[in-house]
Amino acid sequence: MPVYNLYMGCSVPANYPNYEAAMMKVAEALGMEFEYMPDVACCGSPNLRAIDYFGWLVVNGRTLAIAEKNGHDILTPCNGCFGSLKDVQHHLKHDSEDRARVNKELRKHDLEFKGTIKVRHLVEAIYTDIGPDEIRRKITKPLDGVGIAIHYGCHLLRPADVTEFKPEMLEELVRATGAKVVEYPLWKQCCGATILPVNEPLAIRLARDKIRSMKEAGAEYATVVCPACGNQLDLQQLGLKESYGEVYDLPVLLYPQILALALGIGEDAVGLRMNRVAADSILGHLKG
Amino acid sequence: MAESKQTSGKPMTLVDPIDMSLLDAKFRDDIKSMPDGEELSACFACSTCTAACPIANQWTYKPHQLIRMILLGMREEVLSGKEIWECLTCFQCQERCPQKVRITDIFFDCKNLAAESGKVPEKVLAIAKELIDKGQLYVVTSDWEREDLGLEAAVPGLSTDGIRAILKETRTGRLVKGGE
Repeated sequence: MPVYNLYMGCSVPANYPNYEAAMMKVAEALGMEFEYMPDVACCGSPNLRAIDYFGWLVVNGRTLAIAEKNGHDILTPCNGCFGSLKDVQHHLKHDSEDRARVNKELRKHDLEFKGTIKVRHLVEAIYTDIGPDEIRRKITKPLDGVGIAIHYGCHLLRPADVTEFKPEMLEELVRATGAKVVEYPLWKQCCGATILPVNEPLAIRLARDKIRSMKEAGAEYATVVCPACGNQLDLQQLGLKESYGEVYDLPVLLYPQILALALGIGEDAVGLRMNRVAADSILGHLKG
Repeated sequence: MAESKQTSGKPMTLVDPIDMSLLDAKFRDDIKSMPDGEELSACFACSTCTAACPIANQWTYKPHQLIRMILLGMREEVLSGKEIWECLTCFQCQERCPQKVRITDIFFDCKNLAAESGKVPEKVLAIAKELIDKGQLYVVTSDWEREDLGLEAAVPGLSTDGIRAILKETRTGRLVKGGE
């Protein structure tokens, strides 16, 4: 059974325990062992990278060094954490000067960054280590071909030379549940989350454009794999009635919620009621 | 033949002349020496980055212009503008650059230079303060929700001591102290 160092970050446990619960259930059903990492907290987000590049390197270098101690890959369900860890790992592997500077700080705490493990996003690990075929074998309640639009999130996809993630991975994982993947024009566009602190109306307009694009392409549901993207597409959707006079009523599910339901896990166990736009109609699309 | 609407004044396509004495040639060297800044000079101003940017239409200076301004040495205009802070960090510009200029990464470098001279938007500074005070951006408040879902009320393994100790000693700590 593959074992992973689970790095939750701060947003999933605080804002999306339904994401956390669903991924733990999925891991159990698929035979993946997630071990919560000790002594870690927040990755700092792109905001920390913006104001304090070196601090961001040390914070994330420390997390990576702690994970290296037991040799298991580090896994996170958050695109923000994934982007930070993956980018810092990439930078420290290629810049020996910064690596020496970071390790000088880490040695004060008996830690050293060596770059010996991989940084994994939850969905990449499910795709690579379990795979769509094995998932199909385990599914007991497949979806009935209902159309789902995927929002990948920028920091999962780009920069591609750093993230090493391919959109097809999540596409195949959604199809493995029996759902249809709905293509839509703005599939690559950002959800806007990063600029909420500096330009909230613009951030909301980006989320709205995205939701609209999904809906116009015929999506009945949307799926995300990041708490920040979830916030933008699900929670912010409720505010669009007031700001834009528009109601989209597009339920947004975290991918492990969809997978868990198809694996026969109950809706309460994956916190379906916590989704902001009511998502329980998806239960009517489960066969078997 | 249709008459041109613009009969007097400077053509729309021209910008104000640049005052050469205000240019800072060291600016481009600063950026080139920062993480992922090496390819800066490879920019040939094709503006593919601007075409890829979902919010360039909101900006006075577009991504390809900002890169040109860095090369020219317009330090003040770039580092004091709103553009670098409104960058979505979606990496669409960088991904499509035919010259492999790491545009988004370079805007991160610009933000670091602005931060070094204390120029950080108020709400971003508030985020820095959260990281110093609490060690995380979001704190679990509804622990009963976690328990309802079969999760431990407190996040297993969570400890904010490490991140807080690190950031107190780096620029984050200095910014927060200076802002108080």
